[in-house]
Amino acid sequence: MARNKFDIDEELEARFDAKQLRRLLGYLKPYRGKVAFTILLMIVSSMLALLGPYLVKVSIDEMIPSGNIPGLIVLASIFLVTLVFNTICMKYRIRTMSYIGQNIIYNIREDIFRHIQKLPFAYYDSRPHGKILVRVVNYVNSLSDLLSNGLINLITDLFTLAAIVVFLLILNVRLALICFIGLPVLITVTLLIKNAQRKAWQKVSRKLSNMNAYIHESISGIKVTQSFAREDENMDIFLEQNEEYRKSWMDAIRVQFLMWPIIDIISVISVCAIYFAGIHWLGTGGITTGIIIAFTSYVWRFWEPVINLGNFYNSIINAVAYLERIFETIDEKPTVADLPGAVTMPSINGAVEFRDVLFCYEKDEVVLDHVSFHVEPGQTIALVGPTGAGKSTIVNLVSRFYDVQEGRVMIDGRDVRSVTLESLRKQMGIMLQDTFIFSGTIMDNIKYSRLDASDEDAIAAAKAVMAHDFIEAMPEGYQTEVNERGSRLSVGQRQLISFARALLADPRILVLDEATSSIDTETEIALQAGLQRLLKGRTSFVIAHRLSTIKNADKILYIDDGKIIEQGTHEELMAKGGAYCKLYTAQYRLLEVV
Amino acid sequence: MKEFKWVWSLMRKYRLIFFTALGLVFAVNLLNMINPYVQGMIVDRVIVDGQIGILLTLVLIMVGNTILRAVLRYIYLYMFEHVSQNVVFNARRDVFRKIQELDFDFFDRTKTGDIMARMTGDLEAVRHFTAYVMYSLFMHTVTLILVLVILFTINTTFTLILLAITPITGILAVKLSSVVKPAFSAIREQFSKLNSVVQENISGNRVVKAFAQEEYEIYKFSRENAGFRDCNIRAAKIWEKYLPVMDAVAGLLSVIIILAGGILVITENITLGELVTFSSFLWALNNPMRMIGWLINDTQRFATSAEKVMMLLSREPKIKSREGAITRKPEGRVEFRNVYFGYGKKPVLEDINFCAYPGQTVAVVGPTGSGKSTLISLISRFYDCSRGTVLIDGKNVKDYDLKALRESIAVAMQDIFLFSETIEGNIAYGAPDVPVEKVCWAAEMAGAHGFITEFPEGYDTIIGERGVGLSGGQKQRIALARALVKQSSIIILDDTTSSVDIETEHRIQQNLREFCKDKTTFIIAHRISSVKHADLILVLEEGRIVERGTHSELLALKGRYYNTFVNQYGDFDKMGSD
Repeated sequence: MARNKFDIDEELEARFDAKQLRRLLGYLKPYRGKVAFTILLMIVSSMLALLGPYLVKVSIDEMIPSGNIPGLIVLASIFLVTLVFNTICMKYRIRTMSYIGQNIIYNIREDIFRHIQKLPFAYYDSRPHGKILVRVVNYVNSLSDLLSNGLINLITDLFTLAAIVVFLLILNVRLALICFIGLPVLITVTLLIKNAQRKAWQKVSRKLSNMNAYIHESISGIKVTQSFAREDENMDIFLEQNEEYRKSWMDAIRVQFLMWPIIDIISVISVCAIYFAGIHWLGTGGITTGIIIAFTSYVWRFWEPVINLGNFYNSIINAVAYLERIFETIDEKPTVADLPGAVTMPSINGAVEFRDVLFCYEKDEVVLDHVSFHVEPGQTIALVGPTGAGKSTIVNLVSRFYDVQEGRVMIDGRDVRSVTLESLRKQMGIMLQDTFIFSGTIMDNIKYSRLDASDEDAIAAAKAVMAHDFIEAMPEGYQTEVNERGSRLSVGQRQLISFARALLADPRILVLDEATSSIDTETEIALQAGLQRLLKGRTSFVIAHRLSTIKNADKILYIDDGKIIEQGTHEELMAKGGAYCKLYTAQYRLLEVV
Repeated sequence: MKEFKWVWSLMRKYRLIFFTALGLVFAVNLLNMINPYVQGMIVDRVIVDGQIGILLTLVLIMVGNTILRAVLRYIYLYMFEHVSQNVVFNARRDVFRKIQELDFDFFDRTKTGDIMARMTGDLEAVRHFTAYVMYSLFMHTVTLILVLVILFTINTTFTLILLAITPITGILAVKLSSVVKPAFSAIREQFSKLNSVVQENISGNRVVKAFAQEEYEIYKFSRENAGFRDCNIRAAKIWEKYLPVMDAVAGLLSVIIILAGGILVITENITLGELVTFSSFLWALNNPMRMIGWLINDTQRFATSAEKVMMLLSREPKIKSREGAITRKPEGRVEFRNVYFGYGKKPVLEDINFCAYPGQTVAVVGPTGSGKSTLISLISRFYDCSRGTVLIDGKNVKDYDLKALRESIAVAMQDIFLFSETIEGNIAYGAPDVPVEKVCWAAEMAGAHGFITEFPEGYDTIIGERGVGLSGGQKQRIALARALVKQSSIIILDDTTSSVDIETEHRIQQNLREFCKDKTTFIIAHRISSVKHADLILVLEEGRIVERGTHSELLALKGRYYNTFVNQYGDFDKMGSD
């Protein structure tokens, strides 16, 4: 059962630490050569940028007073050369950084997506889908700039800072130290607001996630909303989500924007301190008027990279709120996964055995209570019983969608946990209770179970399940486009398409979980006749409420409250006069009562 | 242009704050000029001339000015964020409202991922534009104008010479703005695709796993993921072509200062002092020229996204209330008169005629795809019929206010969608204010109370999106309870008990009989037991009513209905003789 809904904030399970930052840098590793070269170019280019004012100064101080026009031309040419070089550097930087940044995003997204493929049903069942979606799509996007330009700027700025520090120290040690006094103050202030800032951005990411989950669900469930004319209430709920997000953003901004004024003020104060100190020490220790003037004009160049670093720090804090969610998802342990040493399942014969299986979805909530049964290859097993008795759970365990807590599920004498998931599931054709149609053509949807199937095979499968006629009657036949909400297909039609899909998989074991509940009796009878031929020699599990569907099964299991109450053929169970018999006769008895 | 009109329509309400903030930007720009001036004075008067007495005053001015500037800047940045957040808030509200208004037809054609892309990435571009790009454009323009005014008063000729290169920037800017737009369009398209492929993968995770198609999903995803990367890199290729050149053009100003300025000084057309002033104002000319490329870039990014959002906002639902619609809740007499309906060329419903009175139950049976669900969806006006009329209480459904109409009809749809909400929240979906007792009553009626109370958290159990974690029968019963809670005069049960076991179904039917006494009830079902007691049974085939009557009348007819009966209860006689 779900633990989270749209308006519940998600708890963060993993704390962000240096290890994760290293992990992030790991994504940059393949490109380190390019990054290093770009940084080198940027450093040279920023050095050249310092040359510009100097060239102007030389021309004003020396060339112009002496009327040296050739000299001016030389200076202008040098300047032009630096411009050309800078243009090339910038071009290279844009190209490389977009290449690297986009590739890193691509890689992170690839990792998170690949990982969620491994996560079991339980992961998807326990939270709104919109919350998973934003992690894969939106959060990852928000990292793009940080990883490319952010990093380059960081290193370039650090380098510039180091260069300027050295330069200031050479110029005058005492004045330089005065100038650096501002730094510890700045660092202290930064650390003070850091926590508030981090919390604020984490809140933004949670609220964004909540809001998107609500939007997503509202779109998916729009038909219900409209049929209940609940638009106004939903609007109110949405506005509340929207407002909470807006508010959290403004709260975060309020802290975030503190950074710039603080640096600004500290830098001005430190410059003023230099004036005071400089004038105080004038004439001592080599402090001259020229030194003070030079010093104060260079001090600004010291604060510029500091401001940039502050901005970078801000965006890091901002991005970390998303990053921790991304890594949290990537670190989510798949509870159902290939065990070490899992082997490929050989071609399945079809013997299925449950040996004393105990299973619960949630702790202490026993769904299957020590269930044991045996199925011979090629048999058809019907599961009947009240809703919620555990019928779907049994078939889910056969495909190992969940792992049992106790006992074993065996296929052909092998524990399903000893083989790889893919080799197991590829040999099963499963038609789930919830039909899901992918956007694309109907043909694509049928072929989903076997991508390399020919059109003929797909059409044959559709014919076998009596879907061919209605598909052909559609405007573009098998090429008709449908979307993931099923478009205009009725539930019965969707069931038939899913059925064709399951059949096309050419499964060794077929699982039909209420496969035909929305299909009319005549179609179903015709379908079963076709199915009989196709299923020869394959084991199949059938869950159905219409008993005419299951009467011919080789074995009928009557499940109630997580236990097998009765098992046997229709005739045996009828003769026994137990629960099944009562159920079977009920449909006639009840018809009469009405 | 219309993108800007749209964003302005959203900003209008906050224009006072916006313009105040712009005023502050202007003020801060002016304040920016003070510190260099004060510093000059410190150097000239204090350090060179030795007037140490005024140092403190000058320093205080500088610090005071900086604090003032910092505070003002904080305020205007905050104000811009305020405006921008409100603009996006309202845009998001409008889009959400539009989504709620649009009809089934739209959703039948549109992917969820596409709509999500509008609500996330595209609105983010709008946010960035209103929070940052707009004021940056203003700030740079102001700086440029201020400095041009100063420079023109100093020396017109030299200013004109400096400006000689601006047409190049202008041409590049115009060119950039036209070539970068398609690139952004491509990015937006690709973003939608990426969103859709991930969204479907998540929603369809059960099917993916059932067929072990994870590798194929990764393949599909990687294709879109790579496509998104490549679109972005392609856009960067355009920047790479223009932006460094624009940067270099701005850099040419320095060359002009050195060369042309130098020659003008030497030929005594301007003074050396004037040249020095020009060079000290260089940054103010230089910066806007360098930034213009980036800002144009961001503006086009905004325009592309805004266009997408506006496209969604401009969609008009075909089904809506007309002016002066009837808001009175109908009593429930439903009549179909010569109703035809078709999505494409082929009609889905043809010549449907029947009438259902309050207190009656009408059952619709027929093969899969024969048009049963379509027929009942015309009553709630989920679609409008293409010919003929659907009437309620003798009035065309199109004459009713849509909300009033739908509020009086309770539907349990065949395609069950439950929200990731508590069970209580789901059942009370159509009537959020009903007391818990009513919710329990409805659950009881729908045969759901029993299993709900067996959950550890009972009615507070949160169910997953689309009801995952519940069995088909459980979902159906919750959906049924949801329909029962609602005050309605017409109740539509579309295949609501197909996954429920027969005894439970029977109990539910008995409960419903009392409940539906004064309502018009429609039932779609496949089991004869579900429809047997209906006052009127319509047998649908390929969109036409082929048989009609009561259970016994139809059996006597020995037609299609009779066949179905025999198929379901064929061994009934055998049983009886046993």
